[in-house]
Amino acid sequence: MSTAQAVPAAAGESYLHHGRGVRSWLLTLDHKRIGIMYLVLVIGALFLGGVFAMVLRLHLWSPGGALVSNDAYNKLFTLHGAVMVFLFVIPGIPSALGNFVVPLQVGAKDVAFPRVNLLSFYLYLAGALLFVGALVAGGLDTGWTLYPPYSLEDARGLGILLALTGVFLAGFSSILTGVNFIATIHKMRPPRMGWFDLPLFLWALYATGIIQIIATPVLGITVALGFLERLFHLGIFLPEYGGDPVLFQHFFWFYSHPAVYIMILPAMGIVSEVVSVFSRKPIFGYRFIAMSSIAIAVIGFLVWGHHMFVSGQSRWTNVIFSFLTLLVAIPSAIKTFNWLATMYKGAIVLKTPMIYVLTFFAIFGVGGLTGLFLGALATDVPLHDTYFVVAHFHFVMVGAVVTAFLAGLHYWWPKMTGRMYDERLGRISAALVFLGFNLTFIPQFLAGVAGMPRRYATYAAAFQGMNRLSTVGAMVLALGMLIAAWSLLGSLFRGRRAPANPWGAASLEWAAASPPVHDNFESPPAVVYAYDYSGLELISEEAGWARAGGTSR
Amino acid sequence: MLHSTERLTSALLLAGTGFMPERASSVAPGVDGVFAFIFWLSAFFLAVIVVLTVLFVVRYRARPARPAPEPSPAHDTRLELLWSGIPLALVFVIFGVATKVYLEMSRQDAGASAHRVQVTARKWSWWFDHPGGKGAKELHLVVGRPTELVMASADVIHSLYLPDFRLKQDVVPGRFTRMVFTPSLAGTFPIVCAEFCGTNHSQMNARAVVHPDQASFDAWAREGLQPEASLVEVGKRVFDEKGCMTCHSVDGSPGVGPTARSMWGRMEKLADGGSVQVDENYVRESILKPSARVVSGFENVMPPIPLEEREIQGVIAYLQSLKEGP
Repeated sequence: MSTAQAVPAAAGESYLHHGRGVRSWLLTLDHKRIGIMYLVLVIGALFLGGVFAMVLRLHLWSPGGALVSNDAYNKLFTLHGAVMVFLFVIPGIPSALGNFVVPLQVGAKDVAFPRVNLLSFYLYLAGALLFVGALVAGGLDTGWTLYPPYSLEDARGLGILLALTGVFLAGFSSILTGVNFIATIHKMRPPRMGWFDLPLFLWALYATGIIQIIATPVLGITVALGFLERLFHLGIFLPEYGGDPVLFQHFFWFYSHPAVYIMILPAMGIVSEVVSVFSRKPIFGYRFIAMSSIAIAVIGFLVWGHHMFVSGQSRWTNVIFSFLTLLVAIPSAIKTFNWLATMYKGAIVLKTPMIYVLTFFAIFGVGGLTGLFLGALATDVPLHDTYFVVAHFHFVMVGAVVTAFLAGLHYWWPKMTGRMYDERLGRISAALVFLGFNLTFIPQFLAGVAGMPRRYATYAAAFQGMNRLSTVGAMVLALGMLIAAWSLLGSLFRGRRAPANPWGAASLEWAAASPPVHDNFESPPAVVYAYDYSGLELISEEAGWARAGGTSR
Repeated sequence: MLHSTERLTSALLLAGTGFMPERASSVAPGVDGVFAFIFWLSAFFLAVIVVLTVLFVVRYRARPARPAPEPSPAHDTRLELLWSGIPLALVFVIFGVATKVYLEMSRQDAGASAHRVQVTARKWSWWFDHPGGKGAKELHLVVGRPTELVMASADVIHSLYLPDFRLKQDVVPGRFTRMVFTPSLAGTFPIVCAEFCGTNHSQMNARAVVHPDQASFDAWAREGLQPEASLVEVGKRVFDEKGCMTCHSVDGSPGVGPTARSMWGRMEKLADGGSVQVDENYVRESILKPSARVVSGFENVMPPIPLEEREIQGVIAYLQSLKEGP
């Protein structure tokens, strides 16, 4: 096992200046540049999906629909879901932040397979372009879940074929990223770094990689079968040719439920990093947190049937899936209590990443606990396919994942760009995101309990008050996100220079310069336990933290 | 105990909204009891999370007087097993109470004397064929009478959702699905479609009318069966009951399909470039096999509507009457 050693570059030259021009970016094998390119695209996807969301919310201002036709609404919610899920939430943390951070955290020069990494980026780009193509070809109105027979009717046209191909390619991008991270974590660690010295972000990405490798091929197979069924009527999913539409749902959720954990596990990894660093205390119960990531990945494969409790599958199948689903609560509870215990007797520093993480606790609490209503059979039957479900998964996929993404983005921003963001704007944005998010989605729980189904372009007048609250909340949320974007982008021009270790963190990425040199480390970093803060001292705000007697710059 | 917490939940959580659904089926109180149980359990744990977060931030915030953390253990296996074990035990309880109610909700046998209704879902309307042969756009039920719905779809997946009954079941093309329950409250309750099915998914509504007794249902089932109805009346009834006007307006306003107002006798340009006059044969073909010749400018989305001969004749007569106008 060898650590890739630094090839001498110009002394102190950062990766941002190592090679100039568009080609040096588009053909780069540097994981950091690939991570930045991913970051630009996933934030573009977040913006696009966010614009769709705002149009949806404005349309729902009045019960009859305020803005667009039913057909246009159906296309908008489909593209909102598909863009957010396939192009933002799934690749967001692993591909953008993970690509940048993983090799640095293991003290390596790059990921195990740099060329595969670039290939995975271009597969993602191709998938994203096909989605744009589907949009241009008249859109798609199937919902991101693509259920046949509706999705495979003649009237769906070219859009469905482009979208299926896009999902297929984005899926392969995800598989290759998983392969790369698993190989990197196995093989690129320095000899002295054991499994239980790893930062928990790496454990989270390792568990994520397992899901990506095992589950995503099933998605590829499913959309390929859908593609062939649409063109050749093989009789797999369409009843008029002898197929079974519910079979598609099994295939789809066999991927798409574990995919929820592809989204949330890396988010949990970020939370584990940030809560420890900003409590200035080692993470509490390292092994339980690491093993709970693996437990979630494993149990996550066995619960897909809970999306189908009213699909007509047998009641005893439902009972088994309900039981397995409720078990996921255990590892989630372990993580939550261990994070809280990490803050106990700590020295808590309320910088922007930590504020996002504190809001994560409440939001993930609601998202996880409302999952109990949907895992339990008696309550799922009325709540299934209502706004209760919409609110629940937005609490997990938007509330928790986006909050953690923003925490991670602010946390590693100085490392990625070499600039400090504005703390005041960062805190304001975190507060607005939290308020706006809750105002958007808490009323949706109530609407769901009262019986408002999801995917409704129009609704009964009784639901108007809740929908208006939700729309106002969405505007506050959007404002918070725009302020975060303004603050981060502005820091590129106005931010002060970041020191190597602005937060006093102990994991290896903070031993590299900010931004790192092309080969990451100018000399092999000294390996310590990722949460060993002993000896780290604040020199000054400008110079950051360093180990006493050490020279981490 | 469940009942008092349940009332409290309604009062705290939903009374303010003013439209918590009624409890109109025999299983609804059980479902609400499970809901209340999980709600209060969740509220407790959420409170623990939020209170500890706030408490720790206030108490352990880094300050000049308190720059470094106090010594505390990095792990505690007994404590961690405790907060794994308590949620595990509670999850068993939730599973137990919820599954018990669910097994009642998902009963498959309605008994020999059940009120059996055939349900047909299509884009974007519901059709209910009742005991005694009467079909209607509304679902008619009887309080206290075990009921079985046997459901089929003519096109895509729909889902029959009765919020006041706390019941929902997908309606899947190519197979029958069933829903067995007992209405417990007389009145009229909304039926909505909960599985996305296209353009007018959100308007695929109907009503469940629960009669206070069998006599009331029987009286309804007898009325309106008029074997001697005129063809125009038959056609108007078909147009109404099959949901034709959802897409084909009768007042000339634009819709998903061509308006029925001035359709009869018109020369239509077709999507494939040809043209056709709307006559008896074209109307028959467009009802039974709508995709054969689609009018230019409209999507090929209409499902086949299998009508009786007399009903087709009725639709033709009705279209003619619309052309002549009132």
